Amino acid sequence: MIPRFSLARPRSLPDAFEAFDASGGDAAWLAGGTELLQVMKMGLAQFGTLIDIKAIADLRGLERTADGSLRVGALTTHRELERSPLIAEELPGLAALEARVANVRVRNTGTIGGNLAFAEPHSDPATFLLACDATVRLVSPRGRREMGVGEFVQGPLFTARDPDELVLDVVVPRRAPATGRAYEKIAFFERPAASVAVRLAVVDGTIGEATVAVGSLTEVPTLVPEAGAAFRGSEARPEALAEPVRTAFEAFGGIDVIADLNGSPDYKRHLAGILLGRAAEGALTEAIAHA
Amino acid sequence: MHDTVDIALDVNGTQRTLSIEPRETLAEVLRERLALTGTKVSCDAQVCGACTVLVDGLAVSACTYLAVDADGRGVRTVEGLATDRELAPIQQAFIDHAGFQCGFCTPGMLMAATALLAEDPLPTREAVIHGMEGNLCRCTGYAHIIDAVLAASGTGTQHEGEPAA
Repeated sequence: MIPRFSLARPRSLPDAFEAFDASGGDAAWLAGGTELLQVMKMGLAQFGTLIDIKAIADLRGLERTADGSLRVGALTTHRELERSPLIAEELPGLAALEARVANVRVRNTGTIGGNLAFAEPHSDPATFLLACDATVRLVSPRGRREMGVGEFVQGPLFTARDPDELVLDVVVPRRAPATGRAYEKIAFFERPAASVAVRLAVVDGTIGEATVAVGSLTEVPTLVPEAGAAFRGSEARPEALAEPVRTAFEAFGGIDVIADLNGSPDYKRHLAGILLGRAAEGALTEAIAHA
Repeated sequence: MHDTVDIALDVNGTQRTLSIEPRETLAEVLRERLALTGTKVSCDAQVCGACTVLVDGLAVSACTYLAVDADGRGVRTVEGLATDRELAPIQQAFIDHAGFQCGFCTPGMLMAATALLAEDPLPTREAVIHGMEGNLCRCTGYAHIIDAVLAASGTGTQHEGEPAA
């Protein structure tokens, strides 16, 4: 059974912060519960109060903002992202990723804010959003602040979020001209064994700026700058990707890959190399289509 | 004394009012308070799908879904599929296609399939496999289960390019 707790169901941010205060700090925010309830059930965490944030309108919404970026409210579920026409148009890589997160039941209830705040090292969205240069915005009684995904996720199951602070939303910069953003993973269990996200831009027939992030290999989603650099200046044709992918993969040799149930470091690194090729091709194809 | 919360939910078309502890899962409330034991709990970790029920039409894992979150909503379990003395098409299809062996996963399979077909009445075989991949059958009768879901879909027939069952 889940250990006993009191439940607060605030309808506004001020009420939520008041409920946190009233708990004396012995509280956790509850959204989809797919992570929180699981760890409580397993006896890994216990809180005197759970504060259900699902009725707080400020944490909802999925829209294009005035400057063209995407604003994804923290309470947006994986399923909503999977099925959103806006996401399908603006960030198809995220729609494809979300369609393959865990299973349909988890996607129906789990939220993007909860996923990022839990900071599970095998998170799909965190790796992709890191490569997309997304920003996490937080709100607390002390006001608002924002930071990149890489700064937000500080360690396995550990973020920069203060206990009384809420993830408000995630903001993904608008797609730059001739840019593609793709994500590939392989999963033997519920969570990926390895994953790779690539963002790249095409300039005058060659690849310009490129960013590579890897997930599930280390304790946190990680940018691999040398891998991104390997693509720069390469001919922007899918058929010409083999050479830069090979060079980029050499940079994966510098990653201190962690062994887990999915396999040894060398095996997981090998998987990441395959995924790198697929993600690079996906990103390049999308970039060319939007040139 | 510990906290209790009053909830009102529609279960298979019947309005239920209950006073429960916040920590009670939907699976616990269905099985232990409402004696609806068709919903099974197996992995208790949202992986196997045995506890799949629908909340406002969406498939969820009742083992890790708080009953208070179903307050004011409609819950559908395997007990709500048949009408009067007639099986739902998905149930009949599971019988016709031998879609179960030991039967423990079957309630979850039926509910997952119900949600899938409500969203996509004419799924391809690939879409059925994708939609049902979160429901595990340890007797491994997957091919028959997929056949059954396809048979229960809108046309009630196999789709173009697929071998007859």
